[in-house]
Amino acid sequence: MKRYFRELSVSAALGIVLLGLAVFAPAFFQPQPLLSLVTREAPTLLVACGMALVIICRQIDISVGSQFSVCSVCAGLLAARGWPLALVVPASVGLGALMGAINGGLVAGLRLPSIVVTLATMVTLRQGLNLVRQGEFVNLPDNVQWFGLSQSAGQWTLVLSALAVLVVIGLAMRHWSAGRQVYAVGTNAEAARLAGIPPQRVTFLVFVFLGALTGLAAIMNIVQSPQVQPLSGAGLELKVIAAVVVGGVAIAGGRGNLWGAFAGLLLLACVSPALTHLHIEAYWEKAIQGAIILLAVVADGVRQRRAGP
Amino acid sequence: MSAPANQPGWKAVFLRYEMLLFAVLVAEWLLFYYFGTTTNRRGVVVGFGTMDRQFDILRHSCEIGLLALALTPVIITAGIDLSVGSLLGLCAILFGKLWFDGGLPIPVAAGLTLVIGALAGGLNAGLITGLRLPPLIVTLGTYSLFRGLAEAITHGAITYTDFPASFLFVGQERWLGLPVQAWLFALVAVAVWLLVHRTVFGRSFRAIGFSPEGARYAGLPVERRVALVYVLAGLISALAAIIYTARLGQAKADAGTGYELFAITAVVLGGTSIFGGKGSVTGTLLGVALIAVLKSGLATLPVVIRLNAAEEISGLLTGALLLVALTGSVLPKILSGLRGRRQAG
Amino acid sequence: MNPSASAPLLTLRRIAKNFGGVRALRGVDFDLAAGEVHALLGENGAGKSTLIKVVTGAHLPDDGEITVAGRTVRRLTPTLAQQLGIACIYQQPALFPDLTVAENIGLRLEHGGARRRIDWPARRARAKDLLVRVGAAIDPEAEVNELSMPEQQLVEIACAVGAGARIVIMDEPTASLTQREQARLFTVVRELRTAGVGVVYISHRLEEIFALADRVTVLRDGASVGTHDVKTMDEAGLIKLMVGREVAQLYPPAESPPGDVVLSLQNVGCAASGVRNVSLELRAGEVFGLAGLVGAGRTELARVLFGLTPADSGEIRLNGRAITLLSPQQAIELGLAYVPEDRRRHGVILEMPIAQNMTMAVHRRIFPGTWLRDGAELALALDYVRDLAVKCAGPDAPGGSLSGGNQQKVSLARWLATKPRVLILDEPTQGVDVGAKSEIHRIIRRLAKDGLAVLMISSDLPEVLGMSDRIGVMRGGALAAVLPGGSDAHTVMAAALGQETGKGAA
Repeated sequence: MKRYFRELSVSAALGIVLLGLAVFAPAFFQPQPLLSLVTREAPTLLVACGMALVIICRQIDISVGSQFSVCSVCAGLLAARGWPLALVVPASVGLGALMGAINGGLVAGLRLPSIVVTLATMVTLRQGLNLVRQGEFVNLPDNVQWFGLSQSAGQWTLVLSALAVLVVIGLAMRHWSAGRQVYAVGTNAEAARLAGIPPQRVTFLVFVFLGALTGLAAIMNIVQSPQVQPLSGAGLELKVIAAVVVGGVAIAGGRGNLWGAFAGLLLLACVSPALTHLHIEAYWEKAIQGAIILLAVVADGVRQRRAGP
Repeated sequence: MSAPANQPGWKAVFLRYEMLLFAVLVAEWLLFYYFGTTTNRRGVVVGFGTMDRQFDILRHSCEIGLLALALTPVIITAGIDLSVGSLLGLCAILFGKLWFDGGLPIPVAAGLTLVIGALAGGLNAGLITGLRLPPLIVTLGTYSLFRGLAEAITHGAITYTDFPASFLFVGQERWLGLPVQAWLFALVAVAVWLLVHRTVFGRSFRAIGFSPEGARYAGLPVERRVALVYVLAGLISALAAIIYTARLGQAKADAGTGYELFAITAVVLGGTSIFGGKGSVTGTLLGVALIAVLKSGLATLPVVIRLNAAEEISGLLTGALLLVALTGSVLPKILSGLRGRRQAG
Repeated sequence: MNPSASAPLLTLRRIAKNFGGVRALRGVDFDLAAGEVHALLGENGAGKSTLIKVVTGAHLPDDGEITVAGRTVRRLTPTLAQQLGIACIYQQPALFPDLTVAENIGLRLEHGGARRRIDWPARRARAKDLLVRVGAAIDPEAEVNELSMPEQQLVEIACAVGAGARIVIMDEPTASLTQREQARLFTVVRELRTAGVGVVYISHRLEEIFALADRVTVLRDGASVGTHDVKTMDEAGLIKLMVGREVAQLYPPAESPPGDVVLSLQNVGCAASGVRNVSLELRAGEVFGLAGLVGAGRTELARVLFGLTPADSGEIRLNGRAITLLSPQQAIELGLAYVPEDRRRHGVILEMPIAQNMTMAVHRRIFPGTWLRDGAELALALDYVRDLAVKCAGPDAPGGSLSGGNQQKVSLARWLATKPRVLILDEPTQGVDVGAKSEIHRIIRRLAKDGLAVLMISSDLPEVLGMSDRIGVMRGGALAAVLPGGSDAHTVMAAALGQETGKGAA
């Protein structure tokens, strides 16, 4: 109970927001708009899963937004060339994993601080994409949108597969030794080494894993519309980090789980519709995101101080 | 950096990292001069080789340079501030709002903007030193918060323009042969140089960067010093916002987007260690010059003009440059580690 | 020698290890039989911890031979040591603070790579079983960061037991245990012995050694001075072996009578760091030695006096005036100086030049108006380099380039530069070679003669005996006794060990 205090309190906050929406804006719960809202968050959920792992491992990756854009555009281009989705998906996942491997290699291999490394790759990737594409949209063939299914079938496919990924990773982090190694490295890398767990390899692999998930998320993104936006991932990193941190994953590593990150993501996803109903303009979203990140780390900091020196 | 007691050998002078940077800068400049200067049909020299271009480089240096100067002490204390670019945007907006909506005279608005910048830096400082939170996540939060506030205040649309000519003079005219803001920049550069290299403050920044615990045991006021560098970063970011507004003649919410990358790159390129302790303001200035020449020079290369992608290429190269500089900074350590391992084995 | 019939589990021959110029080990011989508890005894700095690190593979010895169960090991790495069944319980356990006890044990003991399903019930059951075997009443589901230090140690022991270790090294395992926990621990150790495990038991507490050990090896100055059957030894004999040399001649004599009381403590305590009810008076011109076991609260008291962990009870008076010490800055202004124990982390900033290290605590005085003045700094540094005979390439050389003794002199110079009235020295000669050691002793004596009140914390018993005008002995966070100068080793040891071994609730 005490150990899952953060997860429970985020879930409680989520419940309160949903309750508030139910009372003041019941329209929020109409099935079709709600499904659309959830579908839009499906790719974010995948990236949040990967980010949770990276942060549990005591690292951070702010280049995911750029990775997401690059994967989206590349996957879109391949699909536009007539590649079947069965090939586009692994290509996108592979590309994401490759970009993750660059970050992971620099952080784990050269022991550079992840924040600065990923700041550099974030801009390099984004500007590289801008340079090559000049902000062009990619038009997709008809059979790509919703995997060639009807809209609602496609939406259900996306939502359910994203949830499946969450559940699989969430369970793996608890019940699979590889998942526990991530926690071990995040809480005490030196003790991990003594216990025979290679901290550098684990660090490298969580970055690769995040990249691969980002590649998969990009696919979930492009199938939602007939065109691929050139910078679809702009700002994604902040949204994802906010969700994960709000969900109780400690920025100092070793603590938190994917269920909390999921609750955090849902909470943030409800902020925007809640704002609309409170007649606050959407421009506030970024500021509120920043404030929420600060609030979450302040809460953790205060709790840690109270827990003892 | 340190006070030279005995006369330094020629190696110490000529093989210093700053000299290397300077040589690279000269080579870069010559390269752009060669490839970026052309004569148009009327026989007028255009492109990189013009005096206007040099002033343009100087003007561009000022804003990134101010942020880099702000970040140098921060990184010397082994901290980081990702929020400086966002704060530039917020301060630009608030400056415009104070003047336009608030009806305040420009000097008063500017003064208030500086106060706001210092307060915003104080927010970072309070969270970092008061609650002992990691600077990385705190300034990532304020990075989003400050930019978000700027967007919220302007509804993402309002742009403040029509500033009086007396104010635009600061950003667009020359005084004593140089752009006006270059004088301001020089003033701040000298002040930061003195602070970092010639005062006990700079000395304690270094000590804290090398070993915060060691500094505490030596009786240095670690919290106060760390707070100072973040407040200072906020203050200088606000000044950069005012100069930015004066140069462009408008204040927009997206002012300074991505500048933190250029600033951090300039600092790391200038030889300041991302792990704290080591660092020099001279190096930072050279790093800024390197990046400003790159940004401005790229725009004059025919191939870049044809692609119409100066912004993208300079961003791309800066990111890559940061990665190279980071790698270079840890390479000696890794090599000596490998050598040590081989000897032990 | 004990004519043990079985082949020894572990044999060390002529083990030597140097750190820079310091010879930490100079030819140690040691052997451990199956089913015995072999105590390793020695003063701080005698080389015990270095020896442990050699056995666990953390340090590669420069010379000598290691044989484990009859097999000569060329290159002992931590992994190999583990495979050979060597486990070590350190004073500061290397656990995962955010994970549960069951998982900590699981991560240590389960092998089989990353692609394995975690069997949580089995993990819990095994943890519970092991914790019961070591007699620990710890919930396997508790997070390690909720445990006290002794509880964490018991988790470490449970890991060693679970790993089926044949050689278990215990580095002062009882330093922070209560009496009940200690009794339980002894039972565990005896069970290990019955099971045929060889236990290397390191402790300062002599009565523990008599209660538990079969044989004892004494280390002195990095060499083994003898292995004896415990039954044939008595306390006095062991202390004599540990202390070894005659102490009186090696130390500079006191030259002046103590003056007025400078610093007086009345019932000073600090709950956060475990200092309780300390009352003492420190006079100008005297060296007050503070003896005690590791963890007795001496460094903690020093930290209270330097404002690092402020006192929460009692009264501190300086020259008769009541003062509060809330920060090092305040302590420095009032004329207190603290030369810390861990000079590489706290005493000297290794990357910075000697001169900058020396002036670090006197910025306000030698750089008035905050501007650096290189001339003044250089003059001060050169003064102290000459005065304390610091061997260095010059005042610009980084602190890390110096030997331990010279680093200590730099640290000392930093605090002398503050012109203190009270100088607190924490293990001033730990890890310092013999030459520099006696130099530092002469400096301390000279400072006292010049009227400074010196509080010298030391675990080096001969040093305390030889240097001090009075000797305070701490035990369990409190001042257990104040003895006159010239007291003998046995009296001080007896006071430090106490009649009662436990120290009450942890």
